[in-house]
Amino acid sequence: MKNIIELKDIHVSFDGEVILDHFNLAIKDKEFVTLLGPSGCGKTTTLRTIAGFVQPQEGRVLFEGQDISKLPAHKRQVNTVFQRYALFPHYNVYENIAFGLRISKTPEEEIEKRVKEMLALVNLKGYEKRNVSSLSGGQQQRVAIARALVNNPKVLLLDEPLGALDLKLRKGMQNELLRIQRQMGITFIYVTHDQEEALTMSDTVVVMKDGLIQQIGTPEDIYNEPANPFVADFIGESNIFGGKMIRDYLVEFEGIEFPCVDAGFGENVAVDVVVRPEDIEILDAQDGMLCGTVETVTFKGVHYEMMVRSDRFLWKIHSIKCREPGDKIAMKIIPEYIHIMKKEAGTVN
Amino acid sequence: MKKKLIAVPYYVWAAVFIVVPLLMIAYSAFTDTQGNFTLDNIVQIGKYWPVMLRSVLYALVATVCCLVLGYLLAYFMAQQSERTKTLLMILLMLPMWINFVLRTQAMQDLLDLLQNWLRLADIPLQVSNNPFAVVLGLIYNYLPFMVLPIYTSLEKLDRRVIEAAEDLGANRFNVFRKVILPLTMPGIGSGVIMVFVPTISTFVISEKLGGAKHNLIGNVIQEQFLQVYNPNVGAAISLVMLVLILFILIIFSALDEETKEGLL
Ligand SMILES: Nc1ncnc2c1ncn2[C@@H]1O[C@H](COP(=O)(O)OP(=O)(O)O)[C@@H](O)[C@H]1O
Ligand SMILES: [Mg+2]
Repeated sequence: MKNIIELKDIHVSFDGEVILDHFNLAIKDKEFVTLLGPSGCGKTTTLRTIAGFVQPQEGRVLFEGQDISKLPAHKRQVNTVFQRYALFPHYNVYENIAFGLRISKTPEEEIEKRVKEMLALVNLKGYEKRNVSSLSGGQQQRVAIARALVNNPKVLLLDEPLGALDLKLRKGMQNELLRIQRQMGITFIYVTHDQEEALTMSDTVVVMKDGLIQQIGTPEDIYNEPANPFVADFIGESNIFGGKMIRDYLVEFEGIEFPCVDAGFGENVAVDVVVRPEDIEILDAQDGMLCGTVETVTFKGVHYEMMVRSDRFLWKIHSIKCREPGDKIAMKIIPEYIHIMKKEAGTVN
Repeated sequence: MKKKLIAVPYYVWAAVFIVVPLLMIAYSAFTDTQGNFTLDNIVQIGKYWPVMLRSVLYALVATVCCLVLGYLLAYFMAQQSERTKTLLMILLMLPMWINFVLRTQAMQDLLDLLQNWLRLADIPLQVSNNPFAVVLGLIYNYLPFMVLPIYTSLEKLDRRVIEAAEDLGANRFNVFRKVILPLTMPGIGSGVIMVFVPTISTFVISEKLGGAKHNLIGNVIQEQFLQVYNPNVGAAISLVMLVLILFILIIFSALDEETKEGLL
């Protein structure tokens, strides 16, 4: 599939502070791409660069292979769903949605037909005459989506569109957004700092930190094969600690050698090891080598979260089995669940 | 209950200084010097219609000029850095700290000076002691009252809403017409009222800058009270002006509604 948007070596700084550091990204047509990262990492700036509100000091933005870097925002064929919506307070729902069509001088019958379609798409039939300030957050959100989609953009940019909604509404809207994206068959570039949202919705996740891309991949890749400790920690919960790669397929930590599925690091090389809390099996103390003492137990709904102190590390374990604080246990980790990463400065040894 | 208590001083103030004087004006307008009911005062106003219309015309011209100039200035100011904004604001307010009569006299002197130069240069252009000078004086004195409310409403404007319009394909002209202008209408409304109402009843500016020939209705009212000692006629004129101003403001707001519709 061809690329619809490409960012080539984009460099943005504000007042000497680097926000996007020689940023490269290619987005395929009809893809649901999510930019994921902590607040302030440059997600909004990336979207604004694509939309034309930020002029990068260096680099180019390509749209279907054409350089659009010099094109002003109003001439770009992308539309944005803004963070906290930015609806027009002086227009009603109908006029908000019709705005783009009126600008492009669409005939009145066509406007009416398209606005009606959009209202149906976002489940807001009958709200035409309503004042936008009288709508709930979720409804305003739908108007913002309809207002952008009515122009048939090839790419829709969404900046934390569900950030202001409560949990239940957010889940519902996630499904609706996915349905809309499939139905319209267009590219979504979606910004969020919520890793769960990113994993459940996207075809591709782009993990960012301090204006740099940390990893690009499918949600499964990102979750199962985090490229570095930052990604591992940001995507879901993790036990991250230092270890030593004895040779291919054999790693040592806590003074014990474990078989693993990774290779190519060399022999006797310090590495970082990641183990997900849910990938650790609890055994009775005499049945395993890696032992520890339960310090705290918290009920989390589906599972219990236990903090277990071993010789060198405090482990986080998610399990449906419950142990009492003070209990001695053993931990079993199968080779597939041991993720090895190149050593980075600053991890606990 | 507490809120009501807080409002009490205002009600007292409004009753003593607004309602009572208005009633007194209405009473004077319909009585003669002996206090007997009469319609004479109202009938006498007939001969002042030309002056009244002229006042309305001058005020309208001054208001429209203030609106155009004031909007441009406010728009320019709103786009500056915080420091420049403060500086421009001080420059705008500075003349208001100087006595109104003095300021107007200074303007008269400047215009006279200019007139002399024009005469020496043989340019047949009249710039002082004429309607032009009066309207210029009105604009100069009341421009800040137009700029301030418009500037405030421009400052309140949400940048993101403008970006949303651009995102939906609006160029600068359309952004202005469909977003900025309608959203600053409240500022324009207050500005128009704050300029139009005082300019229609001014008398110092027309007296100084009009060369005593171009009297406005404010001068006539002043004359009735202070020179002819006929406060009853003065009151009648004031009353009619009040109704006239109300009427014009209603037309303004109707126009405002219509422009809003037309802007869609
Ligand atoms: N117009 C601007 N001027 C100065 N700094 C900015 C501007 N826009 C964003 N920034 C800075 O850039 C950094 C990244 O911002 P942003 O892209 O909004 O991050 P995110 O959306 O990931 O939270 C932040 O530190 C922010 O303060
Ligand atoms: Mg952001």
